[in-house]
Amino acid sequence: MSTQAGSGIAGKTAIVTGGSRGIGRAIVERLAADGADVTFFYRENAAAANEVVAAALAAGWKVAAEQLDIRDSAACAAAVERIADRCGRIDILINNAGITRDNPLAAFDDADVAEVLATNVTGVFNICRAVVPYMTSQRAGAIVNLSSVAGDKGGRGQTNYSASKGAINAFTRALAVELAPRKVRVNGVAPGVIETEMSAGVREQAGDAVLARILLRRYGQPAEIADAVWFLVSSHASYVTGQVLSIDGGFKME
Amino acid sequence: MTTPITKDEIMAVFPTVAETMADALGCDLEDIKLDVSLIEGLDAESIDFLDMVFRLERAFKIKIPRGKIVENARGALTEPEFEANGIVSDAGMAQLRSYLSEIPADRFKTPMKVKDIPRLFTPETFCKLVITAQREAAAAA
Repeated sequence: MSTQAGSGIAGKTAIVTGGSRGIGRAIVERLAADGADVTFFYRENAAAANEVVAAALAAGWKVAAEQLDIRDSAACAAAVERIADRCGRIDILINNAGITRDNPLAAFDDADVAEVLATNVTGVFNICRAVVPYMTSQRAGAIVNLSSVAGDKGGRGQTNYSASKGAINAFTRALAVELAPRKVRVNGVAPGVIETEMSAGVREQAGDAVLARILLRRYGQPAEIADAVWFLVSSHASYVTGQVLSIDGGFKME
Repeated sequence: MTTPITKDEIMAVFPTVAETMADALGCDLEDIKLDVSLIEGLDAESIDFLDMVFRLERAFKIKIPRGKIVENARGALTEPEFEANGIVSDAGMAQLRSYLSEIPADRFKTPMKVKDIPRLFTPETFCKLVITAQREAAAAA
């Protein structure tokens, strides 16, 4: 008789950045539905965050939201400390928050570059610097960084975003090396084009061209990314670290 | 002038410091003697120091800013007075010997690189770090 081992996620304390919408919300719900105590951060949209919390509580899940600008390292440290004080430990970190400011390179202004790098790269450093001491001290933990197909394959008008996600891929591998002796696993998930508000512009402007590059000929759903994240933080991935898993329907390079 | 740290103060915090270090280093509590070298005697690495400081912060509910241990060791000396090009000055060595008075004189090799100062550290050094942080917190309160 075959048996299905548990995911090991029930009862774990999880942090998800950018959890109020899109892929982040799907991740929050995936982990909470499996029994994790999830706190997610959101930057601005309190109404969306409240909606996620209300829906989760109605489902009987443990979900809390905190407003946080991940570009502020001191605020990140304080927020993480509050969660650790409340929950006693931090087991799972999902670095999902990210922004795009697409434009041809020559048309960028300074803010287009600085804001994308500050949120997508520095923000990940800030949260990790706050969380990692807890995980290394516990000798246990799992971190998943949300990358993008753009980090590997590039896209017109996305040099800033591509650079930020390429940095996350490198960061993921380097942090995996650093934390492996402390039994903390670090992986990434690189979504392709997923049906979210964030990708609406790309899908509207270049839908046919984009679909032609996807082997499965459809866009992904946030829940399909959440499944991959769930796998990587679960006990099923206990021998996986330093990997960036592409979930992109078979996205082809131009 | 700073009030010297007494042996009684050290012994009051040592049991918790020792327990914290044993957890951080994955060694037996009995191995944590007050005067054992953390690097040479207990195989601690730089990441272990970060771990130990983090655990001590939680155990004693104190804040120990990064670099605090070397700052404490430097005492009243400015950075240029304490070291030049990564080598501890004569004045710096005198200050270091005074701050780390529990460490046998033969362990202070000259010239000493700043990056090698942690090789001198013992559990007693961390007890002093905790006591200093406790005093600073009490003074601020």
